[in-house]
Amino acid sequence: MRCINGLLRPQRGTITIDGKNIEKMKIKDVAKICANVPADCNEDFNLTVQELIFLGRYPHVDGMWWESKRDEGIVLEAIKQFKLEHLVDRRLNELSSGEKERALLAKAIVQKPKVLLADEPSAHLDLRYKLEVMENLKEMASQGVTVITASHDMNLTSKFCDRVVMLSEGRIIAAGKPSEVITEERIREIYNVEVSIFKDGDEIFAIPRRSIR
Amino acid sequence: MESLVNRTKFRLLLILVFGTLSLIGLFIYSLTVGSYNIGWYDAISAFFSAVSNGGETTTTEERIVYLVRFPRFLAAVGVGIGLAIAGVIMQAVVRNPLVDPYITGVSSGASFGAVSFMMLGFMSGTMAVYALPISAFIGAVAAFFITIGVSEASGGRPITFVLSGVIVGFAFSSLTNILVVENPDQLKGVLFWMFGSLTAPDLTQCAILLFVVAIIGAIVLLYARELNVILLGEEQGSQLGVNVRKVKLLMMVLSSIVTAVCVAFTGVIAFLGLIVPHMARMLVGGDHRLLLPASIIIGANFLLATDILCRFIGDLPIGAIVSLIGAPFFGYLLIRRGKEYSN
Repeated sequence: MRCINGLLRPQRGTITIDGKNIEKMKIKDVAKICANVPADCNEDFNLTVQELIFLGRYPHVDGMWWESKRDEGIVLEAIKQFKLEHLVDRRLNELSSGEKERALLAKAIVQKPKVLLADEPSAHLDLRYKLEVMENLKEMASQGVTVITASHDMNLTSKFCDRVVMLSEGRIIAAGKPSEVITEERIREIYNVEVSIFKDGDEIFAIPRRSIR
Repeated sequence: MESLVNRTKFRLLLILVFGTLSLIGLFIYSLTVGSYNIGWYDAISAFFSAVSNGGETTTTEERIVYLVRFPRFLAAVGVGIGLAIAGVIMQAVVRNPLVDPYITGVSSGASFGAVSFMMLGFMSGTMAVYALPISAFIGAVAAFFITIGVSEASGGRPITFVLSGVIVGFAFSSLTNILVVENPDQLKGVLFWMFGSLTAPDLTQCAILLFVVAIIGAIVLLYARELNVILLGEEQGSQLGVNVRKVKLLMMVLSSIVTAVCVAFTGVIAFLGLIVPHMARMLVGGDHRLLLPASIIIGANFLLATDILCRFIGDLPIGAIVSLIGAPFFGYLLIRRGKEYSN
């Protein structure tokens, strides 16, 4: 993921978005097509929700200091989309983890990315917020954004993702539809865990049984 | 919903208008306060007659107002703004609201640079007026990078930064003390460095101080949005298209320069760079486009008001008074944040 948004260089191969090589682009131009949602963020500085979301417009603002009417329109739209209207003046450290995650998603979406990277977006959230985040990401995907997430949660992944790439020690083990990639054999191989997998159409449910020593 | 950007602009305007008005009021008042009694009307007319004569002073009033109290006002404004800017920058760069030029050892480094320069005896000559801040700057940069080095080597957490700043600050203060004791004949000349005082700089030095502060203030204001992005951390910042390392390095150098110049002319005034940004943050929040102007305005007003207070209670050194105000303030912040950590 860090290679995709230009923070690290791939050791081999190249990464292209819309046919453009990431490595040959300026960091600010990468920021215009590629956004990410961090798992957590610094909340020591009394930043308000509104200020955080405006930061997402950073790569697009042409003026020296202030955002334009257009920037503001995009921010207001995102505030509405993520139901943050009543929270715009709240400071980040006053939010619940679910609210904060929504604010971070809004910050990413105002960046108007083609590719959205979410590194374990649901790892520290409770069940309801987990679903909420994934639903929000799914909605972005339906608006034409390519959403890439890293996750250890097989059930959530299979429910929400169109394609899954299974990695182990830096190598791709399998890629394809969730129901094809996530199998009992592969899980045993990679995680050393025995699971039972049930299928319901395209959806699958992985139930952990025991770890193998 | 009303325009969010316009609301921010309006708040900025409010701060600037009220801050400037109060600064003008304090300026006039500061010309009247001191051991020699001058009414406010006489003070203003003495000031303007001295200015209109191109700095030529004829009466005692004019001399006191123009050559003693006016430079003191300029020094208060310059140092108040300078240390406030340095504090805001450092807090953003190390992403820790508990640091300022004093905590990070930069003031002590600058003070050591300035004192060793004086002790080496280059104090005479026309270049001295520039060489003094430059040697203070060398000390400041050295102290800042040692502090960062020690802090990063010990994990780079907020508390390690504060602690390594304390270590570096002590080391440089001790070196300064040794220098002073070894050269007792020059004791009087350097004593004010250690206390912090606004009485020393003359009009030329004030002009240099204000010039440097204005230039650095302007550069930093241009980078207000980048400072906002930096708050999110290196990875998030890069991901938004900011070259975080480059901006951070530039900001560290700028904050060291402005601290060094302040220390070179007025000595160490501890905690000012900590108190002022916090007051500003309570008023306007974390957006640097508001925070920087607010800190500048508050810094100037705060130091000037404190200086006036000092004159009332018998001309005590301002560094000591600011520390007296700052220490409990810092303690309060620590207690509050300590509680937040344990949650």
